[in-house]
Amino acid sequence: MSGLLLDYLPILIFTAIALVISFAFLAMPLIMAPAAPDDEKHSTYECGFPAFDDSRMKFDIRFYLVAILFIVFDLEVAFLFPWAVSLGEVGPYAFWAMMVFLGELIIGYIYAWKVGALEWD
Amino acid sequence: MEIETLLPALAFYLFAGVAVISALMVVIARNPVRSVLFLIMTFFSAAALFVMLGAEFLALLLIVVYVGAVAVLFLFVVMMLDVDFVELKQGFAEYLPLGALLSFVLAVELIILGATFRIPKEFVAQTPITADVSNIEAFGRVLYTDYAFFFEAAGLILLVAMIGAILLTLSTKKDVKRQKVCEQVSRTPKDGLKRVDVKPGEGI
Amino acid sequence: MADFGSNMAALLPEIILVISGLVLLLVGAFAGKKAVPAINLTIVGILLLVAVLVLLRIPDAALSLFDGALRLDALAVFGKFAALLASALGLWLAYGYLKTDKRLTTEFGVLILFAALGMMIMVSATDLLALYVGIEMQSLALYVLAASNRDSLRSSESGLKYFVLGALSSGLLLYGASLIYGFSGSLRFEGIAAAIANDASVGLVVGIVFLLSGLAFKISAAPFHMWTPDVYEGAPTPVTAFFSVAPKIAAVILIARILFDPFLQMLADWQQVVIAISVLSMVVGYLGAIMQRNIKRMMAYSSIANMGYALIAIASGTAGGLSGLLIYMVLYAITTLGIFACILAMRRAEGMVEQMDDLAGLSRSQPALAIGLTILLFSVAGIPPIAGFFGKYFIFLAAMQANLLWLAIFGAVASVIGAFVYIRVVKIIWFDEPPQQDFVPVSRVQAILVASSATLMLPAAIWFLPALYEWSEIVALSLFAGG
Repeated sequence: MSGLLLDYLPILIFTAIALVISFAFLAMPLIMAPAAPDDEKHSTYECGFPAFDDSRMKFDIRFYLVAILFIVFDLEVAFLFPWAVSLGEVGPYAFWAMMVFLGELIIGYIYAWKVGALEWD
Repeated sequence: MEIETLLPALAFYLFAGVAVISALMVVIARNPVRSVLFLIMTFFSAAALFVMLGAEFLALLLIVVYVGAVAVLFLFVVMMLDVDFVELKQGFAEYLPLGALLSFVLAVELIILGATFRIPKEFVAQTPITADVSNIEAFGRVLYTDYAFFFEAAGLILLVAMIGAILLTLSTKKDVKRQKVCEQVSRTPKDGLKRVDVKPGEGI
Repeated sequence: MADFGSNMAALLPEIILVISGLVLLLVGAFAGKKAVPAINLTIVGILLLVAVLVLLRIPDAALSLFDGALRLDALAVFGKFAALLASALGLWLAYGYLKTDKRLTTEFGVLILFAALGMMIMVSATDLLALYVGIEMQSLALYVLAASNRDSLRSSESGLKYFVLGALSSGLLLYGASLIYGFSGSLRFEGIAAAIANDASVGLVVGIVFLLSGLAFKISAAPFHMWTPDVYEGAPTPVTAFFSVAPKIAAVILIARILFDPFLQMLADWQQVVIAISVLSMVVGYLGAIMQRNIKRMMAYSSIANMGYALIAIASGTAGGLSGLLIYMVLYAITTLGIFACILAMRRAEGMVEQMDDLAGLSRSQPALAIGLTILLFSVAGIPPIAGFFGKYFIFLAAMQANLLWLAIFGAVASVIGAFVYIRVVKIIWFDEPPQQDFVPVSRVQAILVASSATLMLPAAIWFLPALYEWSEIVALSLFAGG
């Protein structure tokens, strides 16, 4: 096994343990917990969504706008990782390249803020 | 067998198997929400496979961008659209022969392509990654220097996407009271308090 | 980074565009509704200014920028100038229309500006990555513009259709690009050309065919035209006018560059594909156009057929073909803009109308507009003394010189059928009984555009065609001389 994969061995073990534990917690109630369902237990708690209903209903379009803006800035962050790792070697040119990139998106951010895309009325 | 070769092989078959099965489930799951959840599982196993190839950055992107953002958006879309999927599947049998034919043609094309593929010699020589440079660092070395133009253009594309999303979905309701942080913070007792000299027995 | 300064200097027009786009976006956000018309007019001015700047800075020899990612040569200058001018005129046309309807926004102008930037990258791309980045920047802005009238169901539908099919075509394009990269080992056109000279494998053929399919989507050539009529009909009319001109010029030049630069050695392989697409486009375009009663849908099919002619020029694979292509695209752009200015003038007191029959009796109610529209329709039909004829003539000439006589004959026959489509509209204008209600008077912008485009089409504009011919000749020779 190469050194790189060895670095990830703890994560593999961690994943395995997480899987075992989560399945155990799913399985245990099936065996041990008392089950006596009635209508009252299945009904909606207080003012929440109906628990067993068609999940497709009309959402406010704002959720979508927030999700899109999140993707845009998520991608921006994804570009930051290699930059942070290699900045020591690539020098000032790369530094300013990133500053221009961030500048473009900061202008977008100011625009989004100013027109009220980040507000929820 | 040695543990050094057994473990990666085991991990590969595990992740590849999970990826293939969950990709299949994406297609055949009845509930579209489940399809999306299986899609997330496929992304995860693919990320693990990328790690095993040494492409750590791609694995990271897959988890941060695809699982973290794109899949969530898929869920939104699936939940937002009021589509009757049972009705959609009604024409399935009708289109099956044509679909099968198309898939067959595509499969043949892929096989022909795979059979004729040979890696050009120069291509092998160009492989830049050396053992002591990590994948993500190799990206960083070229992305912000040699490929700086594309990098900046990508930033502009993201900006265009942002403007577009805002233009298409933002609607400001007129009669809603919004927070105005600046005004609220700069408010002094003077603005809010008024001393009124009330005469006894008259009220205000 | 020693070449940093020279790269930046060569990209000055693009940089001006980016900075003004960013600044105007912020100005629009802060200044609110009052500044919207001024901002849009400023963008028109900036696009025109940058177009002039591009012309003033023609380099003596072709400049390779960013290590071969972009090339600033005569073709790029031609394409940038045409795309910028078309974008500016498109926005100007939209400005008057949207202002009347109170639907003008800052974002509208800014998106057109970024679309124009995408086109500038497209026409100068000599790298698969640059090609893709340019196309995406342009398309993303166009998808949004198509859906920009949010209150109209048809506009949203057209935006969605355009987006889904556009994404599919980008997928095809990327698949082709990745195959080309895989089999040639290079993203740069130079490297690809070297790999082809070394060994032209089957993988490269499959790659270029996929790439061509993706690009055919962008220029709406059959059989990748399905989105065109719906998108043209549903999108706001000034956006349709913009769609049918500027992006087409950029995409056609892009196709010409990739086929004539690295892939010219594989002419025999891609020529049949281009011929097939071209023939299909002419047939589908004209047969579809005959069926239409809605003038925007008719223009959609007409543009499909026109792309078929452009592809004849590309199929010839010669310098003559390239110069014919450029002449044809310029004439097409001018005529289309003029016709759309007329379509935008089809406004009654209660709103816009788009049926051909609404043009009935235009000759009596607005004779000037009727004459202008007639000249433009004759031009796009290719009827002799009008300039549109010469556009087709040079294309057929190039096809014959490339031993594609039958294709030229096919094109000529198709254009006779096509002439029926346009002459039918002329008949409605001149001979049908006018309806009760007249159109509202044309706006100044529309009048200027119709008048100038119709005048350029007339033989009276004697300087125009020779000048265009000379310029396109220089461009074509410079690309084929390897400069």
